[in-house]
Amino acid sequence: MTTSRAMTAVLSVGETRRPVLGHAALAVLGVVCIFPIYWLYATSFRAPEDIYSLSPFPWPLSGANYATAFQVLDIGGLLLNTTVMAVGIALGQLLTGLLAGYAFAAWEFRGKQLLYLVFVATWLVPFQVTMIPNYALLSQLGVLNTIAGVVLPSLCSALGVILLRQHMQGFPTELLEAARLDGRGSWATLWTVVVPNLRPALAALGILLFVNAWNEYFWPALVLQRSNAVLQLGLRSFMGSEGNDWGPMMATAGMACLPVLLLYLVLQKQIVNGFVRSGLK
Amino acid sequence: MSRIQIEGLTRRFGQVTAVDHVGIDIPDGDFLVLLGPSGCGKSTLLRMIAGLTPPSDGRILLDGRDITHIPPRDRDLAMVFQSYALYPHLTVARNIGFPLRARRRPRTEIDSRVETVTRVLGLGELLTRRPRELSGGQRQRVALARALVRDPGAFLLDEPLSNLDATLRTATRAELTELHRRLGSTFVHVTHDQVEAMTMATRIAVLNRGRLEQVGTPSEVYDAPATTFVAGFIGSPAMGLLSARLDLVDGGLYARAEGVDLPVGPGDPEDGARQVLVGVRAEHLALVAPSTAPLRGVVRLVENLGSEEVAHCLVGEARLTVRGPRPLGLAAGDSVGLTTDPEHVHLFDPGSGRRLVRTPTPVTAVQS
Ligand SMILES: Nc1ncnc2c1ncn2[C@@H]1O[C@H](COP(=O)(O)OP(=O)(O)OP(=O)(O)O)[C@@H](O)[C@H]1O
Ligand SMILES: [Mg+2]
Repeated sequence: MTTSRAMTAVLSVGETRRPVLGHAALAVLGVVCIFPIYWLYATSFRAPEDIYSLSPFPWPLSGANYATAFQVLDIGGLLLNTTVMAVGIALGQLLTGLLAGYAFAAWEFRGKQLLYLVFVATWLVPFQVTMIPNYALLSQLGVLNTIAGVVLPSLCSALGVILLRQHMQGFPTELLEAARLDGRGSWATLWTVVVPNLRPALAALGILLFVNAWNEYFWPALVLQRSNAVLQLGLRSFMGSEGNDWGPMMATAGMACLPVLLLYLVLQKQIVNGFVRSGLK
Repeated sequence: MSRIQIEGLTRRFGQVTAVDHVGIDIPDGDFLVLLGPSGCGKSTLLRMIAGLTPPSDGRILLDGRDITHIPPRDRDLAMVFQSYALYPHLTVARNIGFPLRARRRPRTEIDSRVETVTRVLGLGELLTRRPRELSGGQRQRVALARALVRDPGAFLLDEPLSNLDATLRTATRAELTELHRRLGSTFVHVTHDQVEAMTMATRIAVLNRGRLEQVGTPSEVYDAPATTFVAGFIGSPAMGLLSARLDLVDGGLYARAEGVDLPVGPGDPEDGARQVLVGVRAEHLALVAPSTAPLRGVVRLVENLGSEEVAHCLVGEARLTVRGPRPLGLAAGDSVGLTTDPEHVHLFDPGSGRRLVRTPTPVTAVQS
């Protein structure tokens, strides 16, 4: 009796120590991840003369950098433009991914494997290879310097197709067959059976694509030569040959991060679900 | 009204022939059970009837109309899948109404049909639940309700009871039979469970490796199995089969082998010296004194089933099982003598495995 009690005591010490160590490691990792973001916001709230201060807390708080940012840039307009661009790209990629993924997962047709390989291959082609042809095409279409020009070549992403095909392959075939017997066509089955059941995956992927598009710098910079079209380009206004104007830049960057952070907070559960499931499949 | 005629239906998957020239005529109102071991092509056959798998060859007629190339939605057939295939994102009520909504029926009609069907199947309280909040039995009912709601000409059921526990299965079996009686529709029910087949079917179609072995009422299939496969597959314990040679003595035929000298009824001279397989069901064997018995062997194992006992005996090289009220008074290692009535002896052709019928005239192979 006594020995067994001693044993459980030993065991429980061992069992509690491991989670403590794990949590400590995770906490350190979390701090490392969060620190740059914290520093960004901290810097943005410093008074302009304290901008190089290394004190961890910005005190006294100052909104001067934000005021400068709003003076120099049309933040509202940039925000709107960026949103239109990112939402356009994310929705476009989601839609094409959905349709192509559905075809690859649910249909049998000649050359399916080959076509899929080609899709995967486009994913492996570096951006720099397609950049010039795309640019030339946009110039011929006369959509350079427009948001549409940024969105158009990004409407289809191989990543979206690959991930959605993967999700749909895990989708029970019997459900699709039941819908067929119940009288739904292929198109209606996609929208009334597949999409509602893939909502977590679609939400997760949609956010991923949105964030990617939102953070895109190089391609918009190429297409939109006017520097004040989207937020990420607006940041350039604070880079000068005499040095960078860090305060307003951090303020603008802070505002550029906000929509993504908010989106994550609102849809957190769906995102985590989506990634967990795609991991299990 | 739905008579389903299947003619020469074949389906190949690469090298595998899953269904091989199957022909069945299923009259309106029949409860046909497709029975066979795992992988024999039952599901493939059912899916071809439903229109989910295109046949490689052959035809399917529904009330005389060729539906081989008609899409599933226009076939007037409803199917219940083994996994039930309920739409996870819809409530029970919306799951049941799905086929009607897909066919763009008016709202009022949908509501009243769903209401009727749920009342019939006792699903009233579950209407607002999602499939994942239901038990296996409840899911099975919802799947059935979704098939019923369309009022189809025929129901196709792919092992709908296999996910239920034993008690529920027995209850649901009776309910399905009752439903069939009340609706009078045609049912095609796939199972590998012979008890299900025997209790529910008006007719059983036994499949083996994609081929149709026999179609008949449960008693026909049990009492006069057309092949050795059917003889061995239906009945528990399985019918024992022993190879023997027929001898004609004074107009009477005897099956003879090591330990076997069994009268099998009258015969003609041309039947003498013929090699046959002799089959006798366990319940038709009786114990007699070993010294003079027509079948003499050794007991290998005695199983206690509670009310009965089953003794597995070795006669020559063959295994025969005897079954009777407990106690049989046998133990492993005992010598045993068995006898049976000539009318309970089944004879099969050892080459083709087909049943040999004793007509008033000689023993001849069944014409297939
Ligand atoms: N889509 C397919 N591709 C290739 N082979 C298949 C396919 N579907 C079925 N088969 C093969 O056809 C044969 C019959 O399969 P089927 O599913 O009809 O058997 P079953 O009688 O329903 O078996 P079970 O009782 O296990 O469900 C099997 O050998 C199977 O491997
Ligand atoms: Mg099957």
